[in-house]
Amino acid sequence: MDTSSPSAFVNGAFMRRYIGQKVRTVVQVIGSDVGSVVGKSTDDVQIVVRGSPPTPLTTYLEVIGIAESEKTIRAETLTNFGNSFDPANFNELCKLANGEFKHLFI
Amino acid sequence: MPVSLTPNAIAAINAGDVNLKPLLQVLDIKVIGRSQETPRSQDRYRLLISDGASAQHAMLAVQLNDRVTSRQVDKGSIVQLVDYICSDVKGRKLIVVLNMETIIPHSETIGNPAMSTESDTEGQKLLSAPGNIPPPNRVVFNEPAIQHSVNRAPQRGVNIQNPVDSTPSFRPSVQPSYQPPLSYRNHGPIMKNEAPARIIPIAALNPYQGRWAIKARVTAKGEIRRYNNARGDGKVFSFDLLDSDGGEIRVTCFNAVVDRFYDVTEVGKVYLISKGSLKPAQKNFNHLKNEWEIFLESTSTVELCPDEDGSIPRQQFSFRPISDIENVENNSILDVIGVVTSVNPSVPILRKNGMETHRRILNLKDESGKAVEVTLWGDFCNRDGRQLEEMVDSAFYPVLAVKAGKVSDFSGKSVGTISSTQLFINPDFPEAHKLRNWFDHGGKETASLSISRDALPGGGSRNEIRKSVSQIKEEGLGRSDKPDWVTVKATISFIKTDSFCYTACPLMIGDKQCNKKVTQSGTNRWVCDRCNQESEECDYRYLLQVQIQDHTGLTWVTAFQESGEEIMGCPAKQLYTLKHELQNDEEFAEIVRNRLFHQYMLKLKIKEESYGDEQRVKMTVVKVDKVNYTSESKYLLDLLVRT
Repeated sequence: MDTSSPSAFVNGAFMRRYIGQKVRTVVQVIGSDVGSVVGKSTDDVQIVVRGSPPTPLTTYLEVIGIAESEKTIRAETLTNFGNSFDPANFNELCKLANGEFKHLFI
Repeated sequence: MPVSLTPNAIAAINAGDVNLKPLLQVLDIKVIGRSQETPRSQDRYRLLISDGASAQHAMLAVQLNDRVTSRQVDKGSIVQLVDYICSDVKGRKLIVVLNMETIIPHSETIGNPAMSTESDTEGQKLLSAPGNIPPPNRVVFNEPAIQHSVNRAPQRGVNIQNPVDSTPSFRPSVQPSYQPPLSYRNHGPIMKNEAPARIIPIAALNPYQGRWAIKARVTAKGEIRRYNNARGDGKVFSFDLLDSDGGEIRVTCFNAVVDRFYDVTEVGKVYLISKGSLKPAQKNFNHLKNEWEIFLESTSTVELCPDEDGSIPRQQFSFRPISDIENVENNSILDVIGVVTSVNPSVPILRKNGMETHRRILNLKDESGKAVEVTLWGDFCNRDGRQLEEMVDSAFYPVLAVKAGKVSDFSGKSVGTISSTQLFINPDFPEAHKLRNWFDHGGKETASLSISRDALPGGGSRNEIRKSVSQIKEEGLGRSDKPDWVTVKATISFIKTDSFCYTACPLMIGDKQCNKKVTQSGTNRWVCDRCNQESEECDYRYLLQVQIQDHTGLTWVTAFQESGEEIMGCPAKQLYTLKHELQNDEEFAEIVRNRLFHQYMLKLKIKEESYGDEQRVKMTVVKVDKVNYTSESKYLLDLLVRT
């Protein structure tokens, strides 16, 4: 496991804690353009992802990249996460990974 | 004192007034004229009645004896004499009560009544044994017995010290000598009352008492069921009773007794029931709160009480909020009331025994903020179901009370009807009115979370008992009388392949395939011991030994046909052919290898069984489901949050 560049699990609300750092999130795709995707985070925040999306896009997209601002990620890796992803579970995971169980995550 | 007795009534009655209809208090009740020779049905009761100032004895007409035996009239009761006469017997006034009503069943003694001069010891002696005046020596003979009883229970001397006690006529010594010793009841000695088959509360019934009678209302009545068992054919029906003390009990009749009582009993009517045997209740059929049930016999009596007895409720409910049902055990029987929000159409269902029945599902919600599915079966679908459907279709949401519904955990929790279930549509109970009021004032709009079907999709119900592999051993599952049913999330780590299926009998027994093991008796001849028949073909069914593993440990489990096929991904016959006929070991091994290391939700039945002297915990896979990651994540999250 590569621990040299850890990426924090985030939802929309936790983005601000990691500005300038590497984050990992899953968004529901609202729209996409060449070089960018607009998505909705699991806690209903609109997030702009800069980077080339895979084609075709599925409903859910995993984004790993640098949080440029509270609502922008410069993507390094974009992965289709299919159409039946459960955003509520992911959102809970983000809360636990940034809260009670933070010590378990790098 | 809310009631005042009619002043000077005793004097007025003695003066011949029979239209007074006075309110009087019963100070005491005594059985008189009882002896070994006379049947108990000829017991006479003598009351001591008081108008608050004076008291006098009055005989109770025999037809009113049941008022005493049923304790409608008791010591302290305030009664209204409706019909009575007062006659002169040898210079003494004698009141005979022909009809009366109980106004207050129990009351403290009112006033400080003194014995009326019209009635005294001598007079009572005359009355106490009509036509049979006891010789004086008998009275003397009786003295030691009285002494004895007082000695044995000295404090009772205090208990019976009510105002009446001071009157000479009240002394037990005037009782005929053949009265049994009056010592062992915790009432005043004169209360000793062993009238035949006296009415007792249902709650007091037990198999150790001889004769009894109960007065109760039929709240439910089952159909006649015919059965066939080792002892032959038979028929049975039962009905449920409720009495004025809220006691309930089931009455069961078999065979000839069915014919006697089936037509007699009618739901809603009140009956006097006597003579029958009490047996432990069959809890799997009988959900009533009573550890006994009554078996009627040919000598039993079931008499209709023509007078409506308002003290016996028509039904007794103990409604549980829907939110409670969530945590109730599977197969519990309970009462629930709610507003019907939707009714599904009735659909035909083929039962396991091949009979067709109907099922209709409706949704019920209540003030607990939860909703539950109610499954109507059989006749309920058409009779009540259709009525409910029409109401809901016309946008009227009826209140439905379900008496004795059975909780199922088939998908989430739901409530289903059983044969003794009763449905009440828009009943006239306070609970129903409260619910209606809630529904009409906001309840209709509030969203209710259903405790049915929101079970984890694919992952079984949320009421499943989840265990880890090591917990099975640690907790000693399967060691109790009943098997344990648990779910494990585990990975298949090894499949035994030297023997993975057996040759099964393909013959049909009724609507089921026999499936017993057949043995080959020559080329293409298979013999089944159970069917005692040969068949040309046999079926191949899985009998699969599988090792499963989770993060806590590993264990062996057995998977039969359906779960075996789920694990292997193909029918047993296909694998059998591959291995034993085509002898393609390579492909066979490849198939088996591909089935390893998949994770499943396995529902296991765990039961310890003995093989010879050896006790072995047998684990059978009854259901194999793929892991549903969404629901499993939810489950794990929930676990994290709760701990």
